[in-house]
Amino acid sequence: MKDNYDINNYTYDMDRCIGCKGCVWVDHVYMPGVRYGVKCPSNAYKLFDGYAPMGREKIGKALLEGRIDYTPEYLDVMYMCQLCGACDAGCKRNLDLEPLSVLESLRVKAVKDGKGPMPAHKKVAQNIAEKGNRYGAAEKRSGWITKDTKISDKADMVYFPGCSASYVEKGIAQATGKILNKAGINFMTLGDKDTCCGHPVATSGMLDEAKAIARKNIDILKATGATTLVTSCAECYNTWKVIYPKMLSKNFADMGYQVIHLVEVVSKLVNEGKFTFSKPMNIRAAYHDPCRMARQGEPWVEWEGTRGQWGILTPKKEYRRGTFGVYQQPRDILNKIQGLDLVEMPRMKENAFCCGAGGGVMDAYPDFAMWAATERLTEVQSVAAEAVISACPYCKKVFNEASKANNMNIKAYDITEIILACM
Amino acid sequence: MGIPQEAYKAMEDIVGSQYITDDQVIAQAYVGRLGHGKDTGIDLEMNVPPAVIVLPRTTKEVQGILKIAHRYKINYVPASSFWISHCAPKRPNSIVLDLKRMNDLEIDEENMCAICGPGVIFSQLQEEAIKRGMYTTTPGGGSQVSVVANHINWGLSPLNYRNGVPGRRVLGGEWVLPDGELLRIGSMSTSDDPFWGEGPGPDLRGLLRGWIGWFGAMGVVTKLAVKLLPFHDEGLKPVGISPHTTLQFPEKKRIRWYNFVMPTRESLVECMYDIGKAEIAAALTKVPQQWRYIAKAGCREDFWEGWNTNEARKSINNIHICRVMLVGYASEEQLEYEERVLMDIMDSYGAKLGRTRQSDNSWIKNADSATMWMMTGAYTSVQVTVDTVDCGVKGGEGLAREKPAFTPPLMDDYGEPGWFQVSEIGHMGYIEFLQYWDPNPNQENLYKKDEWNYIKVPTLDAEWGMFNAFNMYASPMNLTGKAYGPECRKWFEKVKAEFDPDKISNDPIPWDVDEYVDKVDWVNKEDYINRDWSKG
Amino acid sequence: MDLKNELQKIVGAGNVLDSPEILEEYSTDNGIYPPGMPTVVVKAGKSEDVAKVINLANKNSTPVIPVSSGVHFQGCTIPYQGGIVLDLSNLNKILEIDPPNRRVRIEPGVTWGQITDELAKENIRVISPLLPHADRSVITDYLEREAPVVPKYEFAEPLMTYEIVWPNGEVFRTGSASVPGYPDSPAKGTNPAGPGLDFYRLPQGAQGTMGVINWANLKLEYLPKINKIFFMPFEDINAAIEPIYKIPRVHIGQEFFLLNHVDLALILAKQWPDDYDRLSDILPSWTLILTISGPPRRPEERIEYEKEALFDLKKQYFQDMPILEALPGVPGGGRELIHMLRKPWPKEEVYWKNRLSGACQSLFFIARPEDAPSFYEKVVDEAPKYGYPLEDLGVYLQPIEQSRVCHLEFNMFYDPDDPIEREKIRIMNRELAQDLLDMGAIFTRPYGDLADMVYEKATSYTTALKRVKKMFDPNNIMNPGRLCF
Ligand SMILES: Cc1cc2nc3c(=O)[nH]c(=O)nc-3n(C[C@H](O)[C@H](O)[C@H](O)COP(=O)(O)OP(=O)(O)OC[C@H]3O[C@@H](n4cnc5c(N)ncnc54)[C@H](O)[C@@H]3O)c2cc1C
Ligand code: SF4
Ligand code: SF4
Repeated sequence: MKDNYDINNYTYDMDRCIGCKGCVWVDHVYMPGVRYGVKCPSNAYKLFDGYAPMGREKIGKALLEGRIDYTPEYLDVMYMCQLCGACDAGCKRNLDLEPLSVLESLRVKAVKDGKGPMPAHKKVAQNIAEKGNRYGAAEKRSGWITKDTKISDKADMVYFPGCSASYVEKGIAQATGKILNKAGINFMTLGDKDTCCGHPVATSGMLDEAKAIARKNIDILKATGATTLVTSCAECYNTWKVIYPKMLSKNFADMGYQVIHLVEVVSKLVNEGKFTFSKPMNIRAAYHDPCRMARQGEPWVEWEGTRGQWGILTPKKEYRRGTFGVYQQPRDILNKIQGLDLVEMPRMKENAFCCGAGGGVMDAYPDFAMWAATERLTEVQSVAAEAVISACPYCKKVFNEASKANNMNIKAYDITEIILACM
Repeated sequence: MGIPQEAYKAMEDIVGSQYITDDQVIAQAYVGRLGHGKDTGIDLEMNVPPAVIVLPRTTKEVQGILKIAHRYKINYVPASSFWISHCAPKRPNSIVLDLKRMNDLEIDEENMCAICGPGVIFSQLQEEAIKRGMYTTTPGGGSQVSVVANHINWGLSPLNYRNGVPGRRVLGGEWVLPDGELLRIGSMSTSDDPFWGEGPGPDLRGLLRGWIGWFGAMGVVTKLAVKLLPFHDEGLKPVGISPHTTLQFPEKKRIRWYNFVMPTRESLVECMYDIGKAEIAAALTKVPQQWRYIAKAGCREDFWEGWNTNEARKSINNIHICRVMLVGYASEEQLEYEERVLMDIMDSYGAKLGRTRQSDNSWIKNADSATMWMMTGAYTSVQVTVDTVDCGVKGGEGLAREKPAFTPPLMDDYGEPGWFQVSEIGHMGYIEFLQYWDPNPNQENLYKKDEWNYIKVPTLDAEWGMFNAFNMYASPMNLTGKAYGPECRKWFEKVKAEFDPDKISNDPIPWDVDEYVDKVDWVNKEDYINRDWSKG
Repeated sequence: MDLKNELQKIVGAGNVLDSPEILEEYSTDNGIYPPGMPTVVVKAGKSEDVAKVINLANKNSTPVIPVSSGVHFQGCTIPYQGGIVLDLSNLNKILEIDPPNRRVRIEPGVTWGQITDELAKENIRVISPLLPHADRSVITDYLEREAPVVPKYEFAEPLMTYEIVWPNGEVFRTGSASVPGYPDSPAKGTNPAGPGLDFYRLPQGAQGTMGVINWANLKLEYLPKINKIFFMPFEDINAAIEPIYKIPRVHIGQEFFLLNHVDLALILAKQWPDDYDRLSDILPSWTLILTISGPPRRPEERIEYEKEALFDLKKQYFQDMPILEALPGVPGGGRELIHMLRKPWPKEEVYWKNRLSGACQSLFFIARPEDAPSFYEKVVDEAPKYGYPLEDLGVYLQPIEQSRVCHLEFNMFYDPDDPIEREKIRIMNRELAQDLLDMGAIFTRPYGDLADMVYEKATSYTTALKRVKKMFDPNNIMNPGRLCF
């Protein structure tokens, strides 16, 4: 079976990187100017090319070829990156190389070589292994559930809240439950089998552990008989839709379940006129595309084959270029809310600047995560918005913390909360 | 290994510890293998990682660093956008000055110029310019390219049709000479305002660049004003999601593309002359066949399915596409007038107007030179002649006749004579001759692509009397530097001896090819070293 | 060594002149600067002579002052250190006219008078500066960066490539003319840049200090058949600035410039001095002049849309500005200007700048158009202090590169035969220049007295320039004493 995380599968991509920085700059068609021109948070924070995707590829190649060895700086280079995938969509605009797979696989290699992940990641992995959640919280996972939330015992749809909405941003899970109730959609949860999706373990490069979690979760889902998993978290969404099949070398289409985010459910109903908003909300807000369901939201497509002369692939590969991510659905919803003045930030959709929290950065490099969030909030300010709305609990949390720490007076919401407040 | 500790410390004091590193992991990111010249012999065999990378913010900081380099005789390489293998260090223990922090941009709207730091790239400037009803000349080489680095080194684009060859767009600025001394050029020689390019008396811009530039071998330009040109004021609207993003033209008839299929190559050339003489259009270019197939392909495999056909093979001599952009600078009426004139001309040649998308994602704000690697994974241009339109076409056809001897390792492009376009409203033509190859090191006779690049093409050009002074840098100085001028190489030597006697500014440029071919066994150097070019 | 003898061997005895009368003739020009005697005058007959003369001079460290035009105004051909005046006026062949590639290759002695008529036969032209003297060399006018009177081209540089004899005697071709085998080569010399360095820039603005041009390629443009001229009168220069910026920016018009009533009257007056007196009285203080012309294809339609665009601009930005097709009170309405502008000033008439008093000192520089009024104010404030009558002050503003910038010129007229007046003008010229320089005027061509003040200010440029000069002219033989050399 092909190992999608084996760096040796990506030497071509590393070698053929031409340094065009399509992975760093905002798509030139949308380039807003000098300010907000860079979409790679890591290279915006650490300016040396080593912290840009193409630099990481060269550094990775040097490691493979024995020209350098593991050093603390090497590990910083590989882990000070949100794995936000802005680079990946950028590269595939022109060249169809796979920088994100390279970055992920270099982490996997670091772990295999006994050098990674970073200590903070190990702690998170340990929490998950021991307590089933990334925080190491001892409480029950179902603490978010309120009395007035109708959860079926048996349904075709499973709501998978994820660690954050279960323990920290409970409001998001609660809102999700209520929205599904209002929409008349029956759903269940995984009950006491509900656990972490394993996202932090996978992104830190602990492939074996992540695979084990994946297998276990898939079995749990299967056992419910449900075929659709709904999430309110972009990371969970991505884990089920992309990381699991990628780790298991399978097409997502062959996984036997569907994954949707709440905004996909609601936007469909909204567009069909089956879900309406009765209350206005008078704010000027910008929508922040969470990386993992926007440009990284396309399902995993398995490819196995060979590369021949001129680099031609046989069979042809179906690329995930970020074109069909979840971009429009949240906008459709927010545009229907009276009084809500939705504005776009200079970096948006596939060019959005990551909130800073992803890829294990919040755990291992909290200062960098806060810096990135603050940078993003200045962008919110630049379009004179007073609030930022995301569809991922991690974005909301880091934005609120950054706003508070810098007295920026910007409110961060999750889209589920907005929907709930206006329905 | 490495540079003296005192030198490092002194530079650290200038820029702050955050902006300097000698970490050898980070250094691997600066080892070359990028942009123009990637995977050629020089890139593979001469480029080495730097000892130190430093990120200055101001002209003063650059001066400080260059003075230290000068004191300790350390080789340094300026890098603004790092899109050409020339700017990777070739000497051990070099300093790379990564200039990306120097990204100040100021637009002088009234006097139509932009004052740029080397960290500003084209799409950023273009955004600001178009907002104000002006535009800059985004080079074919890419929107991601530094405005400063491009203006002092290169600067070619179909937009040159209206906007002039690049040397004319360089205005005043600050240039730190190889030893760290500051030279203020143009109007900055006597004022703080860089809006004009000429200094008093002889114009020292003549030393700053040429056909083409110094590639970092003559200090660092830290600030440069470049001309902006008037455009229409209806803007361009970005639409789509990657990879299908484009700039949509406004409803109002202020800018339009036209694709004509010409009956013959001769008629293609003649209509270009006529269009220039009629003083219409904003860009005028011929589209090479491979690019048509790239445009139609969703991926590399699609391309090859299309290209490996008889239809593609025949298209070289059967399909001649002339692409014309009209801009109503003054009004819609201007565009309508130009359209009528254009149709008169095209009708007279029996040209057919094909379907044309009214958007741009190639020349104005977005230019994707990265797609050049899409077909085979390796690319370089060998011929960049600008003289008359006719001269360009002849050069391309001549090279197309010679190329089969080098195919493979070069990709078979069926005799495609290259990409030509018109500059300065028809006073000049431009030809770029493109090569693609499979960079897999196991390919047989891969060295032949270097022989073609570095020796064969420049020799043919000089023999034929083509102006491919691009090859001043991509060929041995002992060949082209002798042939052109004649003996223009002597002036390089003199200028270097005067301004950089220790050769610390990006050595061994511009003699890197001489040094490289000296070490290989597939070149007979005597052939060109002893050649007398005075007889043509 | 007998210099004269050696020179005679190169150019023939008849072309080496050193009679006192001839030397006297070459010792002055039509300007404010004192005379200086050459040692000998050499008339080059073929371009090969040039390299030989330079070689000889270089070996002997003898100054060489190249002279191409028949007339000079700025003192830059006056030999102050003796030496050889190298007169190139006999090198006056039009070597090639190449209409398809829209270029003409000429020798330095070719004058505006000569070339204009020759090209007009083929309905083509080299865009000229404003009404140049018929005896001025086309090449030297553009080497010295005169501003073309048509600012619509984004690149105000008609000069393309040339063959130059460097001060060390080496012959070199610039730009795409540098190809082996030129001119019998596919490359025709239309690209100014390179080879390697932009050599073509170094002899520009150099006042003959960087070498001698044997021939040059210049751009040709069509000679429009159908034309319209518009006059935009202003009483206040400030009001002219916006139209100056806006009009060429939309790519309309051919000739476009601003004159004050003095300069315009000097140009339009037929009967001297009556017409001048009348015209300078009735003409508006400032007139912006614009021609709109039809190219070879669909000329009327082009004129139509350009005219419409002009009137649209007026409607949008300067409604109060009259756009006249004729100047009231001027015979023929001044419309003959269209034709005058496409030719040099008629040889048989006193040059327009010399009409008023016999001579003219032009003080000019590059400026932002928006700063022109304050420069003008300064001159108006200062000139009376030198006893110069403001009613005789000529002003010419030539937009360049679609009015990105302008050439601003103050014309001060004086009697060349009155040494006191001449000296007064010299002092005024120098002191005004200093004031304007302090205000930010960009003197790219510092002639005579201006050189020291400009180079003193241009510290870093001056240092670098001297180093460059030394590379090309180690013995400082080329027109020594000019600029900072
Ligand atoms: C596929 C491809 C197609 C291309 N097509 C075109 C084209 O159509 N038109 C065109 O104009 N160009 C073209 N180019 C060239 C490209 O635009 C140039 O590489 C670019 O203009 C120079 O920018 P850079 O990013 O390479 O600059 P850098 O890599 O930063 O520098 C280029 C060189 O200049 C030196 N340098 C950089 N900054 C400074 C500075 N501030 N002061 C002094 N020296 C400096 C460097 O040392 C280096 O040697 C193409 C390149 C590629 C790869
Ligand atoms: S976009 Fe792709 S090819 Fe370009 S620099 Fe980034 S990783 Fe390399
Ligand atoms: S994944 Fe995001 S942070 Fe990491 S290199 Fe790519 S763009 Fe930068």
